[in-house]
Amino acid sequence: MRKGFSRKIPPLKVLNSSQMEYIHSSTLEVLEKTGVKFESERALKLLKESGCSVDFETRVVKFPGWLVEECARKAPSSFAVKARIPEDDLRISLSTLYFMPAAGAKLHDEATGELSVATLDQNNQGVRLCDGLESVDFQASYCPFFELKDVEPVMLLAESQASIARFSTRVSRGAQATDSFIWEAMIANAAGKQLIGTMEGAAPLCFPEDAINAAFEYMDNGFPIWATGGSVMGGSSPVTVAGATISNNAEILAAITFIQCYKPGNPVLANDFVIPMDMESGNLFFGALGAGFHQMAFNQIYRDLYRIPTCNAMAAFPNSKLIDYQNAFEKTHLAMSSALSGASMIAFTGSVSQELAWSPVQAVIDNDSVNIIGRYIEGFEINEDTAALDLIAEVGPSPGSFLGKKHTRENWKKEYYVPKTFDRLSYQDWERSGKSSVIEKAKKGVHELLGSHNPAPLNDGQEKEIRRILKEARQYYSKKGLL
Amino acid sequence: MRKGFTRKFEPVRVLSDAQVETIHKKTLEVMSEVGCKFESARALELLKKNGCRVDFETRTVYFPPALVEYSIRECPSSFLVRSRDPKDNLLIGGNTLYFMSSLGARLSDIETGEVRVPTMDENNQAIFISDALDSIDLYSGYTPYFEIEGVEPVMLCSTSLAMRLRNSTKITRGTQPTDTFIWETRIAQAAGQELIGNMEAAAPLSYPEDAINAAFTYVEAGFPVYIAAGSVMGGTAPVTVAGSTISNNAELLSAVVFIQCIKPGTGIIANDFVTPMNMESGDLFFCSLGASLHQMAFNQMWHDFYKIPTNNTGSAFPYAKKADYQSAYEKTHIAMASALSGANMIVFHGGVTAELSYNPVLAIIDDDIAMTIGKTIEGFEVSEESMAVDLIKEVGPVPGTFLNKSHTRTWWKKEYFMPQSADRTSYPEWKSSGQKGVIDKARERMEHILATHKVESIPADADREIDKILAEARKYYKEKGLL
Repeated sequence: MRKGFSRKIPPLKVLNSSQMEYIHSSTLEVLEKTGVKFESERALKLLKESGCSVDFETRVVKFPGWLVEECARKAPSSFAVKARIPEDDLRISLSTLYFMPAAGAKLHDEATGELSVATLDQNNQGVRLCDGLESVDFQASYCPFFELKDVEPVMLLAESQASIARFSTRVSRGAQATDSFIWEAMIANAAGKQLIGTMEGAAPLCFPEDAINAAFEYMDNGFPIWATGGSVMGGSSPVTVAGATISNNAEILAAITFIQCYKPGNPVLANDFVIPMDMESGNLFFGALGAGFHQMAFNQIYRDLYRIPTCNAMAAFPNSKLIDYQNAFEKTHLAMSSALSGASMIAFTGSVSQELAWSPVQAVIDNDSVNIIGRYIEGFEINEDTAALDLIAEVGPSPGSFLGKKHTRENWKKEYYVPKTFDRLSYQDWERSGKSSVIEKAKKGVHELLGSHNPAPLNDGQEKEIRRILKEARQYYSKKGLL
Repeated sequence: MRKGFTRKFEPVRVLSDAQVETIHKKTLEVMSEVGCKFESARALELLKKNGCRVDFETRTVYFPPALVEYSIRECPSSFLVRSRDPKDNLLIGGNTLYFMSSLGARLSDIETGEVRVPTMDENNQAIFISDALDSIDLYSGYTPYFEIEGVEPVMLCSTSLAMRLRNSTKITRGTQPTDTFIWETRIAQAAGQELIGNMEAAAPLSYPEDAINAAFTYVEAGFPVYIAAGSVMGGTAPVTVAGSTISNNAELLSAVVFIQCIKPGTGIIANDFVTPMNMESGDLFFCSLGASLHQMAFNQMWHDFYKIPTNNTGSAFPYAKKADYQSAYEKTHIAMASALSGANMIVFHGGVTAELSYNPVLAIIDDDIAMTIGKTIEGFEVSEESMAVDLIKEVGPVPGTFLNKSHTRTWWKKEYFMPQSADRTSYPEWKSSGQKGVIDKARERMEHILATHKVESIPADADREIDKILAEARKYYKEKGLL
C-alpha cells in the first residue's frame, strides 16, 4: 500500500458553515429546477426509475434533493484501488494525500520551451521515469503525452494505458473518448490491476454519451470513478467563484447520483478542474487565484458535507512556457492551497506550458516540490524528546551550542526534507562547482533514473493478452472507419 | 492608511489547543529556570525592579511566569505606525497582512547569478521602484542593499535609512548595530515619520548590549519594536521544530517582558526567523520545510494565544542563486504557509541567493506573487449575486454559455487578480511575440515605473537636517576610531 502523506492537521476552511449550506441548497435548486443533460437513453431510463424527472426529448434530468443527498451518502469516504503490485495499492481517503503526474500534449525542451511530438518510446520512458519517482502515487490517463508520433489519435488512449501497464506498477486512471474505456478496462484486467475510471462532464450541466458509457463500463469492471465537470469560469460556468462552485457542484453531484443509482456504494473521487478564462484574450487563465479559491471551497464542501475524497487538477498546468520563476509560483501556490484545504489527491508532476507539454526534467524537480508540500499536512511531533527541555537547560544562554549534541544528530533528518535537485550550496561552493542550476541537476536525475529504474515487468501471458487487446482495438476502429 | 490584505477566514492551525498550552508551559519553565542573559546593567536593574530574579554576575534574568503573562497582556493586538505621508500609515495586527521588502548584501544579476556591490544610484533606484509596487507596505532595516559602493560599513544603516526616507514614503524598520539606532531615530523624526524599532537576540537565550540599547532608544522615542531571535535549529536552538519553538519563544517573551517594563503598552511585532542548519554542510538551510513549520506554529502561538502581531522572514531568502524555478518554489511554499497560518507581515520581495543579494526586477515579479498570496486570505464573496443561481438556470445545459452575460463582464476583474509581469499568452502568441518570459515583462514594467512614478520629496529643511545628522554620525564614529 502506498503511504502518501497522512493529514495530521485540520484542513483550512474558506467557507463558514452557513455559506456551505447556502451553496449546497443552491446546488440542489439547480439540480431540481434546471437539471442536467444526460446524452444516453440507458442513463435516462435508469435515472427515471430511480425517482428523477426526465424529459426524453431534451434529455434533461431533474434530480429530487432527497435522491441527491441519499446518493452522496452512499459514496464511501475511503476506498482501496488495486495496483499491479501490492506495494502500489492505494487507499484513497479523507486523511491521505496522494500526488499524480499531469499530462501534456507534447515533449518540452527545457532550454528553449520548444515543443515536439513524442514517440511511443519517449512516452514509455516518461511512464518509467514517473514510476521511479517516489512522490508519484498514481498515473494519469494519456500520460505523460497525449500526442504520439507513431500512434494514431484513436489508438492513443489504449496504447497509453498499455504503456502504463508495461512500464509502471502504479494504479492509473482510465479515459473516456471514442470507446477507449473498453480497451483500457481490458488492459487493466489483463495486467491484474484496477483503474480509476472516468466520467467527465461537458459543462454547462451536461454529460456526453462517451462519459456515460465509460462510467457504465468502468463500474461493470468494479472500478471507482473519477467524476469531473471541467468548466471554464465565464464560459461554461458563471465567472464568480461562488457561482462556478454551484454549477460545478450540480454537475458532479449529478454524476454521483447517476453512479450510485447504477451501483450503490461505488467509490467516487470528485475532481475539481475549473479554469478561469482571461476575458481580455479569451485564453484559459491557468495558475490563477480564482482556480485556487474554487479548489479550496470544493475540498471543504466535499470533505465536510459529502464526505467524498477530492482530487485537484489545477496545480498541474502552469501558464508559463518555461521551467522558470513564474512556472514554480503558479504550480506551488495552487498545490499549497489544495494540500492545506484537504485534497486527497493533487495532479502536479511534470507539466509545463499549460496543457500543451510535459517535461521529464520538470517531473524530477517536481518530485522535490511534492515531497515538501505533502509533508506540510503531516505537521511535526511534540513530545518530551522533541520539546528537548532538558537539552535547552543543559546548553543554557549564549555561548551554549546545540551543534555537538546527540539530539541534533538523531533528529535533523527526521524533521527536515532534504531536496535532491535543489541547489543547497553556499555561494562560494556554487561558483566553484560550475554554477549548476536546478534544471541541470534535474537533467542528471532524469538520466540516472532512466538508467537504473526498471519496474517489475508484466509476465509473458499478460504481455500477450495486452497485444491481443490492442489488435482487437485496431480492428474495431478500422471497422468504424476511424483507422 | 495602507490597506494590506484583510483575512476573512480562519488561519490553518498546526497545533491542537493542548499542544499550544504545552509549548507555553514549557516556555515559562525555561524562562523561570534557565533564564535569559541581558548584556546591560541598565536592563538587569529594570528587570529586577519589576520582579525578576537577576544574577548580576552571569547577567542572567529569571522571569516569574506571572510577570511574563502580565507583560503579554500589556501588548496591544494592533497598533498604528505613522508615515510622513498618511496614505502610507500602517495599522499592524488583527486580521491584516502586510508585505515587507526583502534585502540582500549586493545586487544580483538574476539570470547569471553574479553579484556585485551596488552604487548609491542603484540603491536609490531600487527603493524608488519598491515605492511604486502596491504590495510592498514597508521596508526592512538596511534595505534593499546592505553594502553600498562608497559607504563605510559603520555608516551603512543610517545612510540607508536616509535614502529610504528620501525615495519613498513607506514605513521602514530601524536597526541596532554600533549605536546606529541613535541616528536612525533622529533621521526618522526629522523626516516626520515613525520607525519600527528593533531588538534582536543572540541565541541561545541572550540579548547583546546593542539590542538592548536600541530597544531603550526606540521605545523612548515612542516607536513600536520589532523583536527577533534569529536562532539556527541544530546550532543555537534544538534541531526539532517543537524544541526550537520553545527556545525561540523564551527569547522573544523575554524581550516582550523587557519592553513592557520600559513602557507598558508599547506595540510589538514578533518576528520569526529561525533557520534550520544543513547538518551535512553546516550551511544555513534557507527556505526549508522546517523553517516553515516553525513559522506556522509561531503564528498560531503569537497571533491566537498571545494576541501579539507576527512577522515571518522565512520566505525572504531563497537558496537559489538566480530567478529560477527553485527560487520561486522556495519563496512561494513558505509565503503561502505563512499567509494561511495567520502572519500579520511577510518579508518577500526581491531577495535571492540566500541573504547575499537583491534585485529590483525580481521585486517587480514578486509584486504579482505577493498580490496573489495576499488576495488568497481575503477569500471570495458568497452572496445572492456572486452565486448567480438565476443565471445558471437561464443559461441551462449545453449549448448554453456565460460568455456574453453582463454578470461575467461585471465580476471577472473583481474576482480575478491579473498579474502584470506573468506571461498569460497562448503558446502561438508567445512564439510570435518574441518568447518573452516573466523577467522580460518585469523589465518592461520597471522602465514604465522609472518613467512615470513620482515620490513626494522630503521638505528641504528636513533634508538639510538629515544631512546634519549624518555628518554628526560620521564625527561620532570617527571619534570612536571606526571611520
